[in-house]
Amino acid sequence: MSAVTNQSLESLPHDILRVRVTARNADTLRALLRDVHPDVGGRPTLDADGSVSIDVYVPDDRIPALEREGVTVTRVGNASAAGRAAQAEVGQGDRFAAANAIPRGLAAKLGG
Amino acid sequence: MPYLNIVEVESAVASLSTAYPGLTQLIALPEPSVEGRTAHALRVGAPEPFPKDCVIMLGGVHAREWGSCEILVHFAADLLEAYQGNTGLGYGGTTFTADQVHGLLQRLDLVLFPLVNPDGRLHSQTPTADPMWRKNRNPAYSGGSPDPACIGVDLNRNYDFLFDFATAFAPTATPQVSANPCDPMVYAGPSAFSEPETRNVRWLLDQYPRTGWLVDVHSYSQDMLYNWGDDENQSVDPEMNFHNPAYDGTRGIPGDVAYAEYIEKPDADSAVVLAEHFCQGVNGVRGLTYKPMSGFHLYPTSGTSDDYVLSRYYRNPGQGKVLGFTVEWGTSFHPPWAEMEKIILDVDAGLVAFCLATA
Repeated sequence: MSAVTNQSLESLPHDILRVRVTARNADTLRALLRDVHPDVGGRPTLDADGSVSIDVYVPDDRIPALEREGVTVTRVGNASAAGRAAQAEVGQGDRFAAANAIPRGLAAKLGG
Repeated sequence: MPYLNIVEVESAVASLSTAYPGLTQLIALPEPSVEGRTAHALRVGAPEPFPKDCVIMLGGVHAREWGSCEILVHFAADLLEAYQGNTGLGYGGTTFTADQVHGLLQRLDLVLFPLVNPDGRLHSQTPTADPMWRKNRNPAYSGGSPDPACIGVDLNRNYDFLFDFATAFAPTATPQVSANPCDPMVYAGPSAFSEPETRNVRWLLDQYPRTGWLVDVHSYSQDMLYNWGDDENQSVDPEMNFHNPAYDGTRGIPGDVAYAEYIEKPDADSAVVLAEHFCQGVNGVRGLTYKPMSGFHLYPTSGTSDDYVLSRYYRNPGQGKVLGFTVEWGTSFHPPWAEMEKIILDVDAGLVAFCLATA
């Protein structure tokens, strides 16, 4: 589950939203990217009907700039709010400060 | 174990070097960041009497892609513990034997630079700041603007590969790069290698001339990207290449015949095979499908680390050939830590598989 889909996260003014931009074809998407130059995330995906989608990160007031003929914009979540939630999961202090505090990997150590 | 703060990334690397003195070397990068932080890399490898090939891996280039640092710290920790304990490694359904771990560290030097951009990561992790921050924190090009977006350079557009993108690309191309200092995401900087963080990466390449591969760990899209990022690949016409000005204004258009970037056929094949091994390693962990593809098929770019490292060879074959790769892990920039732990296992399994395939 992606954190940005959690609609319970608190929103603030000027937050960056994650939206899904779907263009009717690749040329339409390219034109949009060239004109608006948005912050994009992930890989463009080709849908069965020939449309192409990509994640875009914009504040709410910039969404109208994405909307045009042949393009649909779907709100996925609040990326800033997801980031703030993740900030609460950042370590405090220095967990490796002690001489015997050595980082351990997550893989299982197999056999011997 | 939650996400690492920037002190902990450095401390983790130092701690590993202390715990495994015979298998590691702590490398201080020569240039401090804009805010004065000295970064370190860790060389991991068993001592051998012969010169060894080298894989350089970068993390923490883009500030908001936090998990990249953890991926490399855990990668080092697992390999070192398994080597010293003579064990294999299990990443879910992808496993490696003790012999494979030993062979890997006996044959290769791994130079892991987990936090290229400490200032940016600190900003992104600070609760009062913007978690979506991507660039470094250099204020030098803001022109005094109060707009916070005018701070910083996108480090992965600051390398010397088609840096003059406005000249290199076709007018209708859509390279994800900007010459506007106030672009909040992809400002390339005033010149190639204007930033200390990218100069540190170049220094590492110069220090390890037997480097054959560079892997830059980013997020997101669940891909393993290989050269090139400016256009589709071709292995027919060596004159059709990034440093031939005759092709300026033609690059970056998919599916056309005007331009495709030259790569020698054995290298093109090798890049695909290595990317496929990475993806197979990932897939075995819990079944996720990462896609091997050229960087151009994500979107056109210039000034990236992966293309810069290979371009050095085409400019000057005496510098040695380095194939460049970019991991794009996950499906969001800030996954909850519980999900990030699973992603670390995915990607680290892929990285071990990748390294084994370089033989």
